[in-house]
Amino acid sequence: MSAADRVGSERLGTASAAAAVGDRARRIAVNVALYTLAFATALALSALLVVVATDASPGTVFSAMYEGSLKTGAARGLTLDEATPVLIVGLGAVIASRAGIINIGPEGQLLIGATTATAVALHAEGPAWLVIGLTLVAGAAGGALWAGIAALLRFTRGVDVVISTLLLNFIAAEVVSYAVGRPWLLQETTSNLQKLPQSDRIPEELQLPRLGSFPGFNVSSAVFIAAALVVVVAFMMARSRWGFRLKMLGYNPTAARKAGVSVALMGGGALLLSGAFAGLSGGVMLTGTVFRLQPGFSQGIGFNGLLAALIARRNPIAVVPVAFFFGALRAGGGFLASTGVPRFLVDIVQALLVLAALFPPLFLDLARRRRELRNARAAARRTAPVPETVGAAA
Amino acid sequence: MTTPIVDGASDRPGTGEARPASPVPAVELRGITKRFGSVVACDRVDLTVERGEIHGLLGQNGAGKSTLMKILLGLITPDAGQIVINGHPVVVKDPLAAAAIGVAMVHQHFSVIPALTVWENVTLGETGRLDPRRAAREVEEIGARYGLDVDPQARVADLTTGQRQRVEIVKCLRRNPDILILDEPTSVLTLAESQDLFRVLRRVVQDEGRAVVLISHKLDEILHATDRVTIMRNGAVVSRVTTGETDARSLAREMVGREVSLRTQAAALGLISEAESAARVGAAGDPGERADVVLRVVDAHVRGPDGRRLLDGLSLDVRRGEILGLAGVEGNGQATLGQLLSSLVELEAGHVEVAGRRVACGRPGAMARAGVAVIPEDRHDSGCVLDMSVAENLVLDHLDAVSSRVLVNPRRMREHAAALIERFEIKTPSPDVPMRSLSGGNQQRVLLARELSRSPRVLVALQPTHGLDVGAIEYMTNQIRAAAERGVGVLLVSTELEEVLALSHRVAVIHGGRIMGVLPRAEADLERIGMMMGGRPL
Ligand SMILES: Nc1ncnc2c1ncn2[C@@H]1O[C@H](COP(=O)(O)OP(=O)(O)OP(=O)(O)O)[C@@H](O)[C@H]1O
Ligand SMILES: [Mg+2]
Repeated sequence: MSAADRVGSERLGTASAAAAVGDRARRIAVNVALYTLAFATALALSALLVVVATDASPGTVFSAMYEGSLKTGAARGLTLDEATPVLIVGLGAVIASRAGIINIGPEGQLLIGATTATAVALHAEGPAWLVIGLTLVAGAAGGALWAGIAALLRFTRGVDVVISTLLLNFIAAEVVSYAVGRPWLLQETTSNLQKLPQSDRIPEELQLPRLGSFPGFNVSSAVFIAAALVVVVAFMMARSRWGFRLKMLGYNPTAARKAGVSVALMGGGALLLSGAFAGLSGGVMLTGTVFRLQPGFSQGIGFNGLLAALIARRNPIAVVPVAFFFGALRAGGGFLASTGVPRFLVDIVQALLVLAALFPPLFLDLARRRRELRNARAAARRTAPVPETVGAAA
Repeated sequence: MTTPIVDGASDRPGTGEARPASPVPAVELRGITKRFGSVVACDRVDLTVERGEIHGLLGQNGAGKSTLMKILLGLITPDAGQIVINGHPVVVKDPLAAAAIGVAMVHQHFSVIPALTVWENVTLGETGRLDPRRAAREVEEIGARYGLDVDPQARVADLTTGQRQRVEIVKCLRRNPDILILDEPTSVLTLAESQDLFRVLRRVVQDEGRAVVLISHKLDEILHATDRVTIMRNGAVVSRVTTGETDARSLAREMVGREVSLRTQAAALGLISEAESAARVGAAGDPGERADVVLRVVDAHVRGPDGRRLLDGLSLDVRRGEILGLAGVEGNGQATLGQLLSSLVELEAGHVEVAGRRVACGRPGAMARAGVAVIPEDRHDSGCVLDMSVAENLVLDHLDAVSSRVLVNPRRMREHAAALIERFEIKTPSPDVPMRSLSGGNQQRVLLARELSRSPRVLVALQPTHGLDVGAIEYMTNQIRAAAERGVGVLLVSTELEEVLALSHRVAVIHGGRIMGVLPRAEADLERIGMMMGGRPL
């Protein structure tokens, strides 16, 4: 580089540094404005819907969502409780997507995990801490097993993972119904004449301890399991050889194979691991919040986790805020439903809020492109006697 | 918008209509500047391309040539500057807009889709009704006209690298562009093919008043094909010359900013005298008959998915410390041999030994573990991971160098990267930027740096100097020689006979997936090699 070149680039450097500071402030302001606008719109639409469909006042929606998710200590605890399983599923889904595998089946894996966990919790004997541990391990194993079917089909028969994992969701739901409807399997053992299609409640000592107590802030200790997993997964992905090879496989399978990464082992392993996370999530729900297996046990947590992972792209840390957001929506939505707003409306409200969260980044991306284009046009106009646009003509 | 909208396409000359060079240049770039973070890829670049001329654009790896042309094509938005086409200032919003004003580009890296057929690829992205038969006929016509023969019905996945390159060019020519940008279009074409192409192109360009920008690192191609040359260094234009008034030496000097040794320059040009290079190889010391064989391929048979025989009983030995050159017409099994030695295909029959041990072919990473380093033909295929950082790409398959049993050591990875970046003069703002953001030639340097630095037993180099600038070719060929002197067995695969002859101790010739014969360098004359390349065994 000649001296003149260096002077030139330094000049460019300081100019862009000054621009960067102004840019950051502007960017933050724009982001705040956009999110406010997006959520205001979503809430306004929700309010309108509720007013039209029910007799409730528009204020109900705002306050109910807020009250149910964030206002009180208890609500905040509930939000965390709801976020916990979403976060665990989401971490697993991030692992699979890093390897370039799309696992659509966390919902089913979660159900099977919950089933195996229930079986262990109701039948295993020993000290409580050991049985809790075994229950969670059984959940993970169940989920891995269910994902393993898809892995086996993929690497022996070449069946597409998206299709197999999707279909296995439906089968898992059937398996749960079957298991909780058969007295010789997991159906409850009450003396009531009418046995419901659900398992026994797991014994008190097997339920994960809660911190704090109602009506104050209280939360299941399961949240610590999730937090620990975030740290472990993020660290392993960023720093371990396994994380390095997983990333290589996801981005370029051919180069990965040359370098010694086996698609079947590494990719299959990632699929199993994501299944294990979903299954563990089922075990955590069982021991932490739900306490018994029922049809519909999963409540869409698997799909929420999957969506969280999609939003977080391939970044395990980014799953945390997204899962928290979903947790708040679930908690707020539950409270809204309890105020008498029909469930389908609650679902619509939740969907609108998810869209509101997705909108700003998309919009900013579009705006950036438009801005670049405008700059280019302005540059042309400054020097051109008769400016014209070709893009418009095309 | 209040400004008048003018359809840039309206004043395009029709095909076949003669139009003399007009005083208004076809393309005028004024003060184009583009920054990527701290890198100034283009620094107030002015470039004028007249009608009826082929304009060479020359510069070292990372000089900003591709970036400048992508700006003209609307793929990259400039930070400042102006584009003037036929005297009208324009804003090129995207490649569609560029197409509308008659600008088309053949890219440095392939953009064809392997799963589609040739004619499908050629018509890709066009709107309106498609007539497959007409499209196929057009592909054939263009092929016949420009000497770019390719079967329109073939699947691109089954084509050789050279054929894919032809498809890229045909795809571009079919649009009948007024302004044609060629970014290293002949990197894997043979000399004869590129000469054919430029002969026809020159006539068309002159007769029809079109304009061509040609980016190439092959100085002889620049000298033969272009009318004027613009030379860039570090993003800025350093020189503009008329081709007739210059020579390879001064072009190289302008481009690199120092004198390039005549020898490498000559080798790059294919001008080196056979006797001289034979003498040089002899002086370097032929490892001789008795040296141990480090790579032995025995009776290798590989069939493609369509049942075609890709390797048909191929056997060869590479000895410790020698460079075995593998010559041959493209598409005779070189690519498959490269894949075999990258653990990417399994053998139907035969086996491979490295240093006397059999290697499980096709098992992921088996070849790399046995000590075989491969520089693949298409660097984006198995050579690198575009979305990972430069530092990560410098260790892909020998993580051991920078990690313990479980964890990668980021500090060691950074040091490792920094050392290689300096040694191989890789132009990158930092080791942490994604591989994707490097210029083509610098990506190739990353591959070479990685494979050469892992102290392999065997180095398999397929077209290793593909996309490198003259200065870098000098360095790389020295590195390959040095590796052989250290005792590495080198298998050099190249379709450029000159490169093979300049470097090898022995020359093998491949044809139809089989070795036709092996000659010591001193006995390898063009006639015998030519015959073997045509399929006549020794
Ligand atoms: N998308 C990008 N992001 C960041 N930096 C980039 C990007 N594209 C190019 N660059 C940088 O701009 C510089 C010029 O790159 P360019 O591809 O134009 O080089 P080139 O002259 O075509 O070189 P080569 O002969 O190796 O192809 C390089 O330093 C490169 O790293
Ligand atoms: Mg380039």
